Amino acid sequence: MTSWKIAAAWWAAAPLFAQWINYPSPGIPRLPDGRPNLSAPAPRTADGHPSLAGIWQLEPAPCAPDAIAACGGDYRGGREFGNIGVRLPGGLPYQPWAADLVKKRTADLGKDDPVAWCKPAGALRLWTYPPYRKILQMPDVMVILSERDVTYRQIFTDGRLLPKAPSPSWNGYSVGKWQGNDFVVETVGLREGTWLDRNGSPITEGAKMTEKVRRTNFGNLEIDVTIDDPKAYTKPWTVRLHQLLVPDTELLDYYCNDNEKDSAHAIGK
Amino acid sequence: MPIGRITLVVTLTLCAPAWAQWLNYPTDGIPRLPDGKPNLNAPAPRTADGKPDLSGLWEPVGPSSSSFVGNSERDPQFQDIAKEIKGGLPLQPWAADLLKARLAANSKDDPDSRCQPLGPIKMHLHPYPRRIIQTPGLLVILFERDTAYRQIFTDGRALPLDPQPSFNGYSTGKWERDTLVVETIGFKDGTWLDVRGTPLTDAARVTERFRRPSFGKLEIAITVDDPKAYTKPWTIQVNQSFAADTDLLEFVCLENERDRAHLTEK
Repeated sequence: MTSWKIAAAWWAAAPLFAQWINYPSPGIPRLPDGRPNLSAPAPRTADGHPSLAGIWQLEPAPCAPDAIAACGGDYRGGREFGNIGVRLPGGLPYQPWAADLVKKRTADLGKDDPVAWCKPAGALRLWTYPPYRKILQMPDVMVILSERDVTYRQIFTDGRLLPKAPSPSWNGYSVGKWQGNDFVVETVGLREGTWLDRNGSPITEGAKMTEKVRRTNFGNLEIDVTIDDPKAYTKPWTVRLHQLLVPDTELLDYYCNDNEKDSAHAIGK
Repeated sequence: MPIGRITLVVTLTLCAPAWAQWLNYPTDGIPRLPDGKPNLNAPAPRTADGKPDLSGLWEPVGPSSSSFVGNSERDPQFQDIAKEIKGGLPLQPWAADLLKARLAANSKDDPDSRCQPLGPIKMHLHPYPRRIIQTPGLLVILFERDTAYRQIFTDGRALPLDPQPSFNGYSTGKWERDTLVVETIGFKDGTWLDVRGTPLTDAARVTERFRRPSFGKLEIAITVDDPKAYTKPWTIQVNQSFAADTDLLEFVCLENERDRAHLTEK
């Protein structure tokens, strides 16, 4: 009875912020009943390239229909958020020191995860974090706005080269170009100490990240991410991140450091 | 110590190439003078639909008594938003008392010094650069400070009737000739408008009028209508200049943050 009451209170409370999050996305293809037609072809920009623009979420991990709330409600994470190599046969090809580090971080219940301390998630994890992300596609830049911590990442598409000695940063330095219908992004300058997933898979400063982004239809985005980091991994590895379009909603302002009371309780075990 | 100064300048110059690839990339497609320098007096660009294009990298310009912090010019209104208001702000008595108390406490609870979001008004005045991206239906401001952004919807939607209070509030904009008029409501109570601690409440309605009179100039007139904290609406002017041939760096306030523990009232 209690949980039913909570659910009822939740739904009753929804209209308070409904004006914000239930605004119909303009210009999206719809079925005769008004629902978005997510199987429609991918849209294109004026210059003929596929448009990646939209609000996206990582495909949530499987969840029984009667257990959605327990799986996180509308805050459901995908499997790669926990373990970026979850679909790789044999898992990630860690170097021995990296395997030891992940073991230690997992044993510590991830208490030193930078995001648990309201630090940035880093370029790769911006794709796997449960809160939504919005892609803006301009002729000279692709911008990813992340709901998590109201932060962004820029991918330059104006033809510039990667810097030779980038300043290490959480997002690194990214340039992108089109190869047919694939948007190919190269990133260097990633900062050591970034976690790639909740397990604590590491990345080092020598890493190069390549993302091939393809919008297979209106509602689906496939991102093949390759990490080439010989210091931390015995060979380059590639994972596919499947993103689903989230229509008729908007990003909220989520600030990790606002009224933050959790980190004091992160004690490992 | 003239020799010391020269040594310092030489050292800084030598360091520059380490990040030069990032910061010294020439901005594509901007008007230039015959010597290659950006022509900041050229007319403001326009988008395909004929509206002025506010896109670009912008930095604040102080009205008269600007000071520099490193290579960032500081608008004195960042410190004291009432700097240019004759007679000061029309504070309600409780708001005047609150400001007095914050000043007496050395402004140590400034959200900025705790790596909290600043809200749109203080962000306009923050010395670090910001990039405006103008798309059909949406204007986004990317801030270097804490790598944060703000969205302004220009797709014709109405302001929400009961917005979720947030640091940025909820903003919609529409064009009145060459001026983008942005209305914002839904502020979280407790926002500071400047370093001193000038308050803003959740009753506030803020109107920003953005104009780009030339390629290199952005003018923002900000009107604050907050009857809870002020006896009448008031307006300030923020001027920004175009920053050519550079880009935003990643600044994360909480990164290696060691200041907070040293903040004291006196």
